[in-house]
Amino acid sequence: MADLEIRNLHVRTEEREILRGVDLSVSKGEIHALMGPNGSGKSTLANTILGHPAYEVTEGEIRFRGQDLTEADPEDRAQAGLFLAFQYPVAIPGVSVANFLRMAVNTQRDEPIGVREFGSELRRATELLRVDRDFTSRHLNDGFSGGEKKRCEILQMAMLGPEVAVLDETDSGLDIDALRTVAEGVNTLHAQTGMGALIITHYQRILHHVTPDFVHIMLDGLIVREGGPELVDQLEREGYDWLRDELEVVTGAPEEDDV
Amino acid sequence: MSEGARTQPAPRSTKPGAARQATLYRPLAGAGAGNGRGPDELRAAALAVFEAAELPAWRRSGFWTTSLRDLDLDQLASRHPGRDSGVPEVVADALGDEPLAGRLVQVAGDVVDVQLDPELADRGVILCSLEEAFERHADLARRYFMRRLTFERDKFEAAAAAFWTGGAFLYVPPGLAVERPFQVAYAIDEDGTAQYAHTLAIGDRGSDFRLREYDLAAPFAGRALHAGHFELYLEDGARCRLSHLQDWSAGEGEVYDVSTHFVRVARDGHCTWIPMHLGGRLTRQHLELSTAEPGADMRHRGIYFTEGAEHLDLYTVDLHESGHTTGDTVWKGAATGASRASYEGLIKIDPGAQESHTYLQTHSMMLSPRAKVDAIPSLIVETDSVSASHGGTVGEIDEGQIFYMRTRGLSRPEAVTVIVEGYFEPVVVQLDDPALEALVRERIAAKLAAAAQDIHAYAAVR
Repeated sequence: MADLEIRNLHVRTEEREILRGVDLSVSKGEIHALMGPNGSGKSTLANTILGHPAYEVTEGEIRFRGQDLTEADPEDRAQAGLFLAFQYPVAIPGVSVANFLRMAVNTQRDEPIGVREFGSELRRATELLRVDRDFTSRHLNDGFSGGEKKRCEILQMAMLGPEVAVLDETDSGLDIDALRTVAEGVNTLHAQTGMGALIITHYQRILHHVTPDFVHIMLDGLIVREGGPELVDQLEREGYDWLRDELEVVTGAPEEDDV
Repeated sequence: MSEGARTQPAPRSTKPGAARQATLYRPLAGAGAGNGRGPDELRAAALAVFEAAELPAWRRSGFWTTSLRDLDLDQLASRHPGRDSGVPEVVADALGDEPLAGRLVQVAGDVVDVQLDPELADRGVILCSLEEAFERHADLARRYFMRRLTFERDKFEAAAAAFWTGGAFLYVPPGLAVERPFQVAYAIDEDGTAQYAHTLAIGDRGSDFRLREYDLAAPFAGRALHAGHFELYLEDGARCRLSHLQDWSAGEGEVYDVSTHFVRVARDGHCTWIPMHLGGRLTRQHLELSTAEPGADMRHRGIYFTEGAEHLDLYTVDLHESGHTTGDTVWKGAATGASRASYEGLIKIDPGAQESHTYLQTHSMMLSPRAKVDAIPSLIVETDSVSASHGGTVGEIDEGQIFYMRTRGLSRPEAVTVIVEGYFEPVVVQLDDPALEALVRERIAAKLAAAAQDIHAYAAVR
């Protein structure tokens, strides 16, 4: 059994049903890419995996290492080893990156981390992600550029060392240097700790830097095609229309922005 | 002591709304200096006002009332523990063992401790009780005393002017810069205490110093009153970092605080003034900062955090009496429990004060479904060629921030704590005073811990 098991997941918001029976398995050591056009439900899946209260699971389940997390609080999912790199990280004014990281790290431990140990872990992570040490004394995401926010997400991921990380469009809005840094961060953690990843993306470019073992394509709240890296190339050449035509997916669900 | 209120029929209506004055600016006209009255004459005049005045209620626009009509003055009395009664533990704990330029502690009606660095005394600094200042430095005290304060606006203002005892007097001579802070503390430690406080501070030309005033209660059960005046005059080029820490909430005691604080900044002077309201059963304060002469500049930063059944009514005035003056005001508040907090901030620019530039913003955060907060910035501009603007927000905690932190492993209450501490932090760091910053952070954290149940309840209803 995989580490993260999603079975027949149906999710709705107050307005409508967004996921209509998703099955997905991600294990430690595996890199998965989840692709699909805007509005297909990718971000909903990411938020639901971490337990966002605005999304209601009406059917199906989310299990992690055998534990049923379908109704668990987000913090329990995090402490179980799941991580979400947000598409739009929010600012927390007045709280430094370093202080926040210390609090987050301490939620995984019985005893608070020592000053020296925290300092060396933070140094290791900032060097890996090529961020200036001063960066960690700034207030979390407050006044950060788009690239800085995404680096900060990966910095948090590196410090927390999850078993499986979900990266929600972490590549969007990044210049090539930031994209490389983010990709290297994922590759290094994958290589060093065997972290599994579910990389959600609208584009193909991050997948030129991180090679997925598995590729899943989502359309209208369902995973409609699965395969290996060759699927990425096919999408790059042909877009999503061929899939729609091929599947003749009839949903009636209106096109909406990612939710 | 409230007999006067009953024997002298008040010629005013008592129907609701009769005393609707919170949104109407009533200038501090200046009762003392310049009109030749000494302290005894001022006391007598204030006593007459006190006896004629009713217990006040401030009403604004129908939904906000701050009323002291339930306060039974007969149950309250000035108390005099004696000058040798010692510094209460609550004050000693708050002050720690940090070296100070000087300190003065008043408990109830008596000054119990005065210390001043002898080197500063040699250089002309005066720190003593206000009573003593009228004996030994009469010229200075009479020149400034109640120069801009009044006793005619309400019964408690009159009471403070009529009945003050002890008091604090600080004088910093011309050109002297003092790095360590001067500390004044007022403490209440007994049920039924009426404390009438008065601090008079003067920064002479070109002086540069820090002044902190703490209002603290030792744990006691029952009711007490603090009615106080604070006045600070900064002469040409003088600079002061001023902070007020009000925390009357140490025990079960209910402290009612009706006070007026005034700061005047003269030519090219500067004041950074940071009041912090961290507890009190009912507080009504008028805080006014005047940039009175060209080149005067001020930074006004404030914090309030109410809990339980507390009621806080703050009225601040950013007064520009002369042109080429600058100001910047930021207030941040939060409310838990069933507390009520109202902040009204007025920018007033007098006729002739051209080329004044100022900005006021106020933010309030509700942390409980039963709390009510109110933030009202307002403007009275009586001249042209100025820039003055204001903004206000009242909000709840952003659920997006909470979810973000929960995905990093923090519980909901932990996330709320981080958000609120972070919200206040930009003001706290501007204290630029490590000991006080630590004290304020500790008090904010303690209030958040005490409100944990509320914060859980808030989560449940959402």
